[in-house]
Amino acid sequence: MSQRADGLAAAAPALRRAGLLQTLAALLWVPQAALLALTVARLAEGGGLGQALPAAALILLAGLLRAALEAAGARLAFRAGRAALSSLRLAAAAALAARSPLDVARPPSGEAAAALGEQADAVLPYLVRYRPARQRAALVPPLLLLAVATQSWMAALILLVAAPLIPLFMALIGLRAQEASARQMLEIGGTNAFLLDRLRGLATIRAFDAVEVTATRLRAAAEALRARSMAVLRIAFLSSAVLELFAALGVAMLAVYIGFTLLGQIGFGAWGGGIGLAGGLFMLLLAPAFFEPLRDLAAAWHDRAAGEAALDALARLAGSGEQLLPGAGDDPSRGPPGGPSAGPPTVVVQGLAFAYPGAAQPVLDGFDLGVAAGERVALFGPSGGGKTTLLALVAGLAAPQAGTIAVGGEALTGGNAAALRTGMAWIGQRPHLFAGSLRANVLLGRDGLAPAAADAVLARLLPGRDRRRQVGEGGAGLSGGEALRLALARAAVDPRATLLLADEPTAHLDAQTAADVTAALLDVARGRTLIVATHDPLLAARLDRVVLIGGPR
Amino acid sequence: MTGWASLRAVLRLFRQDRRLLLGGGAALSAATVLAGVALLGLSGWFITATAIAGLSSAAALGFDVFQPSAGIRFLAILRTAARYGERLVTHDAALAVLAALRERLFRAYAAPNAARALLARPARLLFRLTADVDALDTLYLRLLVPAAAALATAAAVGIGLGLLDWQLGAALAAAVLVPGLGIPLWLARAAVRPARLRTAAAEALRARMVDLVAGQTDLALAGRLGAQRARIAGAEARLAEAEDALNRLEVRAGLLFGVVAALILSGALLAAAALAGSGAGLGAISAPQAALVVLVALAALEPFAALRRGALELGRTLIAARRLAPRLAAPPLPQARPAPPAGFALAIEGVTFRYDGAAAPLFRDLSLHLASGGRAALIGPSAAGKSTVLALLAGEAEPEAGRIRVARCGVLTQRTELFRDSLRGNLQLADPAADDTALWRALDRAGLGADVRALPAGLDAMLGEGGTGLSGGQARRLALARLLLRDAPLWLLDEPTEGLDRATAAALLTYINGQEPSVTILLATHLRREAALADRLFHLVDGRIVAEWRRGEAGYQAALDSLRPD
Repeated sequence: MSQRADGLAAAAPALRRAGLLQTLAALLWVPQAALLALTVARLAEGGGLGQALPAAALILLAGLLRAALEAAGARLAFRAGRAALSSLRLAAAAALAARSPLDVARPPSGEAAAALGEQADAVLPYLVRYRPARQRAALVPPLLLLAVATQSWMAALILLVAAPLIPLFMALIGLRAQEASARQMLEIGGTNAFLLDRLRGLATIRAFDAVEVTATRLRAAAEALRARSMAVLRIAFLSSAVLELFAALGVAMLAVYIGFTLLGQIGFGAWGGGIGLAGGLFMLLLAPAFFEPLRDLAAAWHDRAAGEAALDALARLAGSGEQLLPGAGDDPSRGPPGGPSAGPPTVVVQGLAFAYPGAAQPVLDGFDLGVAAGERVALFGPSGGGKTTLLALVAGLAAPQAGTIAVGGEALTGGNAAALRTGMAWIGQRPHLFAGSLRANVLLGRDGLAPAAADAVLARLLPGRDRRRQVGEGGAGLSGGEALRLALARAAVDPRATLLLADEPTAHLDAQTAADVTAALLDVARGRTLIVATHDPLLAARLDRVVLIGGPR
Repeated sequence: MTGWASLRAVLRLFRQDRRLLLGGGAALSAATVLAGVALLGLSGWFITATAIAGLSSAAALGFDVFQPSAGIRFLAILRTAARYGERLVTHDAALAVLAALRERLFRAYAAPNAARALLARPARLLFRLTADVDALDTLYLRLLVPAAAALATAAAVGIGLGLLDWQLGAALAAAVLVPGLGIPLWLARAAVRPARLRTAAAEALRARMVDLVAGQTDLALAGRLGAQRARIAGAEARLAEAEDALNRLEVRAGLLFGVVAALILSGALLAAAALAGSGAGLGAISAPQAALVVLVALAALEPFAALRRGALELGRTLIAARRLAPRLAAPPLPQARPAPPAGFALAIEGVTFRYDGAAAPLFRDLSLHLASGGRAALIGPSAAGKSTVLALLAGEAEPEAGRIRVARCGVLTQRTELFRDSLRGNLQLADPAADDTALWRALDRAGLGADVRALPAGLDAMLGEGGTGLSGGQARRLALARLLLRDAPLWLLDEPTEGLDRATAAALLTYINGQEPSVTILLATHLRREAALADRLFHLVDGRIVAEWRRGEAGYQAALDSLRPD
């Protein structure tokens, strides 16, 4: 929660100033109204254009000033709110980067992107519209009430009675609507998800001749959602209707009271001299402005719920996970690729223990392993046996609960994890395709690697593929075999990566592709140390040594 | 299609559905605004008139206070009621149109090949689709309704004040209309570019976020986590810049409206003073009428200011309309496949097929027959066309030449396709009329009955998106149960046990193998355990059947042994 507090605290003073500017703008209406009222009263007494000129000039001036203050306040609020949103987003991104890939509670990428992207957008209206509106609603009506009270205490009383009833009624109605709308919020996103979900499975729907049925259901779901939405909205809009009613009746009652007073049919409520035409018009002009901030606040009310939900989602993302990624903070500096090479490293694991949070049994307990420099070792065993976990621990992607790992004779710690990783490469079972070209996917922005080197590696491992081809979120996918070859290319291109860690590289591949990938893996591993987690006997058989791991307990 | 033509296509959809509702919303909105203007104007007239009448006690006695004060109260209530009605009706209408739009889009994508093309597109574009649907929301609520109300106000104000003095009415209507429409039009034009930049930056931010989380291991190993965060910060900075540009435009439009409002107010005051002339009662209009003019002028511009939000988003709305409009046309009806010759479950004869945009066809003169009750498997390397043969048979792909005759078939796709729906809803996809007895029978036969009975909600248990909530084995069994409900004489199974552990796969294959002999099964597979089910193996390489073995023939066993053992 501290992240949320930090991001917002920085924006708070500017938001307050913005609210004050807008309050000031709203209050400029008081002199404008006074001038209007005086001028009309003068006209009623037989005045003409000559007397109206100076008043009109002053009204124009005040109007221009008012527009300028309004604009300045809006910009100030936006800039402060936008900066707060940026800092919240970046804090959440930093926290996500710092969580270990082994953290089971880590949110999936789609969810994280949605919370950080579309949902976080709701923070802006909350900060920029709702917060200043709340401030205006607290300041403007009491001050306008004072201005009205200078003319007639009765008129001020009429407004005073109308105004507090508004929050009361709105609260009553709002309470009823709130519960219903909370349920509703969940479902509105649901219709889009429904459509996407069905589009993704269209092949099946068509195969079952269920297009008509599904289209009808889609329509029915959308119509049902509409019916439920309307049930909520009927209540929710009542609260604003109450506001409107009191505002309109307040103006009407005020006008009628003033009219009767001016006719002399009501003789109380004004100070000593009664109300003149100028005083009456002045009060009438102030009445709508009295209710205006309350209406603005009501209009911005739904920004609050969405904004607070978005802030909570960001705060959840920004919270630290149970497993941290050692060395996630700063990118290590890397030596030049042609620099002194230490050759393939040894890997020595002693007494390693690791348990996932909440799991009944540790997945690794007192595990020992020694890998010689340049050796090719298979970690062989069933899924869930700890193969992938062991690889991740060697890569320093999480800290073990006990035991030590030494790579090239250097003990792995949180402090040197990032530096040691520069000597490793990872070949996952489903390599992630980054949004960008194939060439960029090979280089991954690592310094000291030339594009020409990437092209050479691609020509070897993915011949016939255009290296400028876009893949990832913004492009097309690759087949499973191609994706693995891409991961191999990432490893092959960097001569500093002398320890290869491969996680089930041949799972999900057909026999021919698996054999090709195995050959390519062994080719890339020449002159490097290789540790492969696999349950593919053909792959395991081609390595120097097979280590059984996670056998039947 | 140009922006405006696509907009018309979308508007046509609006008109087809709920025309009354849509028009009613605009009318109520106009009534709300007009009642507000009239309330203020009448109140000003009333106060001024009573003040003048109150100067002499005789006039005060003769003054009819009841009609105007009743009018004021009536307008106050009318305004409230119209506002409430407007909000209900416009939201109802917008939701109705969006419901129709979603159905229309779904039907359009249900045409053959359209779904395949959609799924082959990047994730970003699929995500864009729903954003586009939502963007059309603003068209009616933020643009059409406020525009109708604003124009009605300008007309009413012009005519109303025109009754006092036609020049005054015309001048005020012009003073309201020209900037009132001009400012939003300027805003809409100016916002197109920053709105496009904003969309691009938001998509970049999303993609980079996905890369950070899904590619974290690769980034950590490459020592690029910090760099990726910097890239996210870069996208966020671009997004902030575009949003800042949009906000600057919005604020500038607000400033212009403020300036114009101040000009109109002081101008109206001067005009009223000039018309009221010198000396009470001698001018063209009376003092109470002058008060009315000033107060009406005060309120007349306000409805136009409400157009700002819609104008700001018009660029985005146009982009959405352009993307969706081609999909709004009615899709062609799928063609039924002719039945196979007697004794056969499927007959593919001389089929040529190529993927859209591919230079060479995948299949050239492909022929394949399978007798009723046969069990066959397509084997061969990836991209040989195994899945495409199944897609052709299922009608998911259309051949360029040749003839396909096939019996009614049930399909098990490579990726288990389950839906965000109840278990019952997922099963009834195959047979909407199936009752619970039939559903339970199918679940039991697929070996999932016990698992479902253990669920508290039973058949009503909800699955998440893509059927999440079930294990891989359970999801596959559910898909199998659905296939059983389909009651089709031909089953097309695409790698039915891929990704399942050995025990689950064995159990599933036993169920499949235990089908009545009348059921024909065609598998596409690269796993030995699946192919072993088949009595005939077709070896597919680069779109050609290069070999074919029957069980017991020489080569059958060797072909099985060439497949993956696990």
